[in-house]
Amino acid sequence: MFGTILFICSAIFTICGAVMVAVSKNVIHASIYLLISLIGVAGLYLTLGADFVAVTQLVVYVGGVVILMLFAIMLTGGADLKVVSRYGFTKDPGMGSLKTYVIGGLTSLFMAIVTGKLIYNAVINTTTENQLNMENSVEQTVSKIGTLLVTKHVLAFEISSILLLGALVGAAIIARPVKLGDE
Amino acid sequence: MFEIGLFSYLVIGLILFATGILVMIARKNIIAILLGIELILNAAALNFVAYSKYSVGNLDGHVFSLFIIVVAAAEAAVGLAIVIRFFQIKETAHIDDAVLLKN
Repeated sequence: MFGTILFICSAIFTICGAVMVAVSKNVIHASIYLLISLIGVAGLYLTLGADFVAVTQLVVYVGGVVILMLFAIMLTGGADLKVVSRYGFTKDPGMGSLKTYVIGGLTSLFMAIVTGKLIYNAVINTTTENQLNMENSVEQTVSKIGTLLVTKHVLAFEISSILLLGALVGAAIIARPVKLGDE
Repeated sequence: MFEIGLFSYLVIGLILFATGILVMIARKNIIAILLGIELILNAAALNFVAYSKYSVGNLDGHVFSLFIIVVAAAEAAVGLAIVIRFFQIKETAHIDDAVLLKN
C-alpha cells in the first residue's frame, strides 16, 4: 500500500515536472521543475527497490547537476531578457515560438508512438516468461553493486574514471576566463 | 486499483522521453536544451532499472543506470562550460545566434 502511494506521488512529480520544464517561461523555473522531476525519478527508483541508485540520483542530480545548471543560468543571464514583438506581446526569446512547439510536439508524438509500439511488443513478449522476484522484499543492493562494479564491470568503472577526469579538465579549460592580451 | 508492473514504469519513461524531445526541439535557450537532454537520460536509466527488477533479475541494470548518471554529469559539466564560453564570445545564450559555421 505504501509502495503504491509512493509510486503514484513519484509518477505525478515526474510527469508534471517534465511537462512544466517544457512550458515554463523562465529558465530558472524550468530548472527547478527539472529538479522536481528528478526527485520523482528517485522515488520511482525507491519503489523499484534500487536504494543505491535512488540515493546516487539525489546526490548527483539534485545536488550537483541542477545546481550547476542554476549557476550557468545565472552566469549567462538567461532569465530576464524580454523583447516586445511587433504585435505588442512581451516575448521571452529563450522560450521558442509556436512554430517550434508545433514541430517539437509532432516529432515527440511520432517518436512516442514508435517507442510505445516497441514497448508494447517487448512487454507482451516478456511478461509471461519469467515473473521472478516480484515479491516486495526490501533488500540492500549496495554490497552487490559494489561487488559487481569491481568484478564484472571493472573495465567500464575504470573508463568512467578517465571520462570524469577528462570532463573535469576539459570543462576547466573550455570555460577559463579570457586573458586581456589575447584577442 | 491498478497493478504496478513493468508497463507502468515503461510508460513513465516514454512520457519522460517524449517530453525531453519536445524540450530539446521547442526551447531556444541552450541551457534549456541541456535540461531536455537530462530528461532523456533519466528516461533511459529508469528503463534500465525497471527491466532489472521485472525481467532480468540481477543487478546489472542498476550498474548501467549508475554509469548513465556518471556520463550525464560529465556531459552537463562540459556542455555548461561550452555554453559559458559561448556567452563570453557572443554575449547571448540563444541557439539562433550560434551561426559560426553557417555559410
